[in-house]
Amino acid sequence: MPREDREAAAGAVAVAIRKVGKRFGSVAALDDVSLDIRRGEFFSLLGPSGCGKTTLLRSIGGFEAPTEGDILIEGRSVLHLAPYERPTNMIFQHLALFPHLGVRDNVGFGLRMKGADRAETARRVQEVLRLVRLEEYGDRRVDQLSGGQRQRVAMARALVNDPAVLLLDEPLGALDLQLRLQMQEELRRLQRQLGATFVFVTHDQGEAMAMSDRIAVMNAGRLQQVGTPAEIYERPANRFVATFVGHANLVEARLTGRRQDGFAEAVSADGLAFLGQAPPHAGARDAVLAVLRHEKLRVHPSDTVQAGVAASVVERTYMGSSLRFTCRAQGGAILTADTPNDMPGRDIAEGAAVLLDWSPADVVFLTE
Amino acid sequence: MSAAPRPRDPYRWWRAALGLYTTLFLGFLYLPLVVIVVLSFNNSTSTGFPLTGATTKWYGQVLNSADLLAAFGNSMAVGATAAAISTALALLLALGFRHGVRGQSLVLNLILLPVLLPGIVGGIVLLIFFGYMEVRSDLWTTVLVAHVNYVLPFAFLTLYPRVHGFDRALEEAAMDLGATPMQVFRHVVWPILMPAVVATALFAFTLSFDEFIRTVFVSGHDRTIPVLFWLLVVDEIAPYLPAMAVVIILVSTALSLAAFAIGRRADRAT
Ligand SMILES: Nc1ncnc2c1ncn2[C@@H]1O[C@H](COP(=O)(O)OP(=O)(O)O)[C@@H](O)[C@H]1O
Ligand SMILES: [Mg+2]
Repeated sequence: MPREDREAAAGAVAVAIRKVGKRFGSVAALDDVSLDIRRGEFFSLLGPSGCGKTTLLRSIGGFEAPTEGDILIEGRSVLHLAPYERPTNMIFQHLALFPHLGVRDNVGFGLRMKGADRAETARRVQEVLRLVRLEEYGDRRVDQLSGGQRQRVAMARALVNDPAVLLLDEPLGALDLQLRLQMQEELRRLQRQLGATFVFVTHDQGEAMAMSDRIAVMNAGRLQQVGTPAEIYERPANRFVATFVGHANLVEARLTGRRQDGFAEAVSADGLAFLGQAPPHAGARDAVLAVLRHEKLRVHPSDTVQAGVAASVVERTYMGSSLRFTCRAQGGAILTADTPNDMPGRDIAEGAAVLLDWSPADVVFLTE
Repeated sequence: MSAAPRPRDPYRWWRAALGLYTTLFLGFLYLPLVVIVVLSFNNSTSTGFPLTGATTKWYGQVLNSADLLAAFGNSMAVGATAAAISTALALLLALGFRHGVRGQSLVLNLILLPVLLPGIVGGIVLLIFFGYMEVRSDLWTTVLVAHVNYVLPFAFLTLYPRVHGFDRALEEAAMDLGATPMQVFRHVVWPILMPAVVATALFAFTLSFDEFIRTVFVSGHDRTIPVLFWLLVVDEIAPYLPAMAVVIILVSTALSLAAFAIGRRADRAT
């Protein structure tokens, strides 16, 4: 690769995580994690509680020292830098606003520490307060603010320093649902407006989906998959991602061959035949896991269609915007379908005979 | 206009009994104090009843007595010094223990232990110790050391929970915003802990100011207020003693209340 290209590539990567490991005694909080976070993207670290998200974020910010590997920001290794020397700012899980300072002094704290002059600090603080829509609140004490306003102060306090990378550790976790959705939008707006690089930690897959340019799914200290929300959802890389993100039917099956059109064929132990997408290296007789999202499975009353897998409805659950039908196919396989509440089939009752169908494009075969 | 019949209060008698009991309870607590206050204004050269008229001359004598002013000065000076030293020492250890170190709970228990030592034993131990070390008893050596020794565990025990409860994330947030460890202490840790430090110092001061039993063993020719008071009682029952008691009560109570109020504010802040 020519030198210019290499430099351009380095310039496009805001944070590079290289084979990072972190042990706490016998616990491996991070295990061989490598990923590139691009400049200007909204990047989420998604995974269940205890999977190492915070540890990775704190390693980038300089609050944990990895036991293995390297972390580069803007192409420069930062492992030897203390938190106050790194070009990152963090929004802490419980915000950690300074209780002894008012809103304005909280926001101006970083500039004061760096010795910026008073007038300049005051101007920048006011500018950032306007950005987060708190220009009226500069004189308040932080304990006189609502949850959402405190959130904004934390944002302003970090953003005023113009960080190369903003690190956010589940900052919306404590908010109720309405406010949470509102703040999600607000964060997204800020990120777009500033063109800044955000690394956002969450255990909420819906939140990650709605906000991110790309998502890294983690489990037990290991990276599971990195991709856009659509890639993660439509092409899960393994069983963990398939179950953690969204709801899916998982059926153990065995490949029987490949067709001209590229789809692979597989049959489950209880006789269900699937067409779907298999990785190129998978060959006949390989054991696979067929993944089919609940909402991609369609349920029809038996008398309305000709073809499909014959099944009976075991359970019908009303879920508001959708209906969930749990069906037993001939042969005994249990398949679950989520159907929008306005579909013609919504009146199907428990015990009814139905036909199930789906598109081969929606079936992913995982080799494990 | 006819008044509606008032419903009978079924707890009438209970309430009356409770009121009487509360009065007796408080009377038991405060009667001696009331007597002292009354006697302090009694115009009689022998302390005690009967009351022979009102005067404020004893207060005049107390406030003009050279002995008393000297003792008051000694108590204030030693109290302030002992409070400053013990608070500073306690703060250093509490800061050191903030994030947990090995053997910490053993050390905490060892710090607690001297609090359980009876005062008279503490006094005798110090007397023997200073004698053995051949230190002459006076205010700025033996008394000060005895007071710091006595006050230190209390200072640590008041300060430690507040320092220990300090939210680590605040320090990390400050560091994240570019503050060096020195700046973190100066701009975040210290301002937030200061009310607790002031409350501790005031508490330490009141302990030192009121300390008698150890001090009497090691004070030599110097006198603190409690020691002077005791000597006056033993020598002669002077007529101005009640007035002196009232002055001391006022000073001690004011200091303790201030310490309490500031401590409450410190707890709300952290
Ligand atoms: N300071 C620490 N000491 C010991 N174990 C820790 C420490 N911090 C995190 N861990 C462990 O590391 C793992 C990952 O923790 P964390 O990164 O906080 O997960 P997450 O943020 O995904 O919930 C957990 O098993 C946790 O118990
Ligand atoms: Mg976490």
